[in-house]
Amino acid sequence: MPRILIVEDSPTMRSLLTSSLEELEGPVKIVEVASGFEALRHLPREPFDLIVTDINMPDINGLELVSFVKNNAAYRDIPLVIVSTERSERDRDKGIGLGADAYLVKPFEPEALRDIARRLLDDAE
Amino acid sequence: MASKGGVRGGNKAAREFVSEAEEILETMRARLADLSDCLGAGAEADPDLVNALFRAAHSLKALAGLFRFDPISSLAHKLEDVLDGLRLGRVALAPPLCAWLDETIALFGSLLGQVGDAAALAGSAARIEELTAGVAAITAPSAAPDEFASLALDPNVLRALTEYEEHRLRESLRRGRHIAVVDAPFEIKTFEEGLAELSSALRESGEVLSTLPSPGDSLESQIRFSLLVATDLPPAELAARIEFPGAAARTVRAGRAVPAAVAAPAATPAQVPAEAEGDAPAPIPELESLKSISDTVRVDIRKLDDLMNLVGELVIQRGAIGDLIARLGGRSETAKIGREFAKVHKVLDRKLRELQSAVLEVRMVPLRQVFEKVSRVVRRLRRELGKLVDLEIRGADTELDKLIVEALVDPLMHVVRNALDHAIEPAEERRALLKEESGRISIDAFQRGSHVVIEVRDDGRGIDRAALRRRAEQVGLVEPDAVLSDKETLDLIFAPGISTREQVTETSGRGVGMDIVRSNLAALGGVVDVESTPGRGTAIAITLPITLAIIQSLIVGVRDRRFAIPLNSVLETLVVDAGAIQVSEGRSLLNLRGTPLLLRRIDEEFGLTASARAVRPCVIVVGVGEQRLGLIVDRLEGQQDTVIKPIQGPVQNLRGISGATDLGDQDPVLVLDLSALVEDALRRREAA
Repeated sequence: MPRILIVEDSPTMRSLLTSSLEELEGPVKIVEVASGFEALRHLPREPFDLIVTDINMPDINGLELVSFVKNNAAYRDIPLVIVSTERSERDRDKGIGLGADAYLVKPFEPEALRDIARRLLDDAE
Repeated sequence: MASKGGVRGGNKAAREFVSEAEEILETMRARLADLSDCLGAGAEADPDLVNALFRAAHSLKALAGLFRFDPISSLAHKLEDVLDGLRLGRVALAPPLCAWLDETIALFGSLLGQVGDAAALAGSAARIEELTAGVAAITAPSAAPDEFASLALDPNVLRALTEYEEHRLRESLRRGRHIAVVDAPFEIKTFEEGLAELSSALRESGEVLSTLPSPGDSLESQIRFSLLVATDLPPAELAARIEFPGAAARTVRAGRAVPAAVAAPAATPAQVPAEAEGDAPAPIPELESLKSISDTVRVDIRKLDDLMNLVGELVIQRGAIGDLIARLGGRSETAKIGREFAKVHKVLDRKLRELQSAVLEVRMVPLRQVFEKVSRVVRRLRRELGKLVDLEIRGADTELDKLIVEALVDPLMHVVRNALDHAIEPAEERRALLKEESGRISIDAFQRGSHVVIEVRDDGRGIDRAALRRRAEQVGLVEPDAVLSDKETLDLIFAPGISTREQVTETSGRGVGMDIVRSNLAALGGVVDVESTPGRGTAIAITLPITLAIIQSLIVGVRDRRFAIPLNSVLETLVVDAGAIQVSEGRSLLNLRGTPLLLRRIDEEFGLTASARAVRPCVIVVGVGEQRLGLIVDRLEGQQDTVIKPIQGPVQNLRGISGATDLGDQDPVLVLDLSALVEDALRRREAA
């Protein structure tokens, strides 16, 4: 069963991300965390197959999380999607530059997120 | 089900939006007040405050965009723009800007009150435009970006800076502050504490521009953090400040030699070095911002149970005090003190009721979460089963005791699965029947008195009574020649061992049927009723008490015993002449305004024979779901709040008794299980 880590500080956005991904074909396990720090603590606990992260968060920002994941041999193969607003193209370009596998603009189409997730989960297999 | 932009059922989405948005606005108000204080003190905007405001506006905008409330969305957009300009240094903080922010946040507050009211929202459009137009005068064009190429900085740190952090770095360079990177290793399990300590030490003497995690020596158990710091302290002093094991500071760019005492106040007032005030640690910004995220508390339900039990015991003691007062009042020498005592008791009584309802209130949760689970399962199942089904949910705000909500999930899910799996026909079959191709399942929840009714309706094939009857005969539940009413036949679906579909499916499983649903719900004091029209669909209504904990009971006397009957099921009480009770074919009946009411004698039910029956017995008419039954008792002893506790020990499973209660006089009273009594009475009638 694919395991997905969702990193997002807004509870509403978090539940929307979760419910969108729960509609993926077949069972998935979703772990929700509300900050970058929580994500850092969660990563060693179980192997994830996909990380979905916001950029603007209270402790470390999403770019820093991407940088950590992509520079860590233990996690760098986990595909990672940034879901953030269109606010800063620069932040988006940086995210991709740091190794994020996809970028989705909020508000997003649930199906678009699922498309990305399917693609990334399939690639990883 | 095209949910563009993630908009789901209007009501729920709106409510969630409003509650989260209110929380955000509250944070913004507090931050803005702090910011105005900064300004009032003649200081510059504290970047942490401005950034917190920006982040709040940003979340607000993301939410508003998500729920497509256009007026709110456009205003949030503007607000975010302005704050972004402020935090990126494009706009200067001045009193007119503060006033604008204040008004905008206030307008937001009133817009939230209008969510769902299109007319009111439209009415606010002019005010929004006014504010949007007004801000243009306060904002200024943006500055050109700088280059960081000359900094001796790990490219990873630079690459992970957001636009805002870049701005802060640029700003610090402009001010000629020292830029340093502090590197420290942590254990992954405990890094937050250590990191907060390190950051707060650094914040005492400067600004932490970014916090970049990187892999530690052991990839999975350790983690390193590189903190990019802008400070007015010379590098040597900064290094001396960091008394952290393994931490190292490296200067990336030496600042201009400015005496710290002069530079510090002008730079960032909120970060004036703390050494002047002695050892008092400065507030840790991370903790501060976490604190404001939510003002709710999660509590273990068992703690609430304990609280509930305590309140229950107080309620009982209150009853005992009432008896004592009556005794004081009964004697002339104590009558005066009795009256005063009674006044105190009255206040105590009122407060106790308030306490009781407050505790009950805390335990109440909306059905929404359960409905969401059901809805997810439906979405999954309809895909797996390849059926076209629309699910409609209404009344998700209806609240029930947390324990009841938890216990409701499985039975409800079972009912819905049955509907999906068995009741809704495949699309081709529906077409052939001239039904809409897509089936419909609706779940409605609403309060009815002290109960909540949850009704699951489908427009499927309905229950096949003939098949049900055949099956019941096969398993020996019904004699072939027995005459059953339509309702009795339908009720067979709740009997053990019945399944009208021979075929076993994964969805509904084998054997676990409506009998389990009924008994699970009965354990909660709930009942299930069924209605079905062949070809048109089935409705299953689940009726549950709102709370389990304290209920009002009618205390009745039967022979030398007392029993408690949950008052919410009592429809009426009558005193009748023994002669008015008719006995036919072994059944006792009472003519209640022209309708025969089936009666049960409680003394016969439990084999009570001590002392005599009353000459004029009382009949308690109880209603359980759609069923009516009259209970014959000897005396009515009054109403009382009772705390029902489960019985432990040998009589634990005595049928007809759901628990015991204590009325304060040390004499336990058994509580009648009305659903069991009613069920038995009906079964006996069928047998008769």
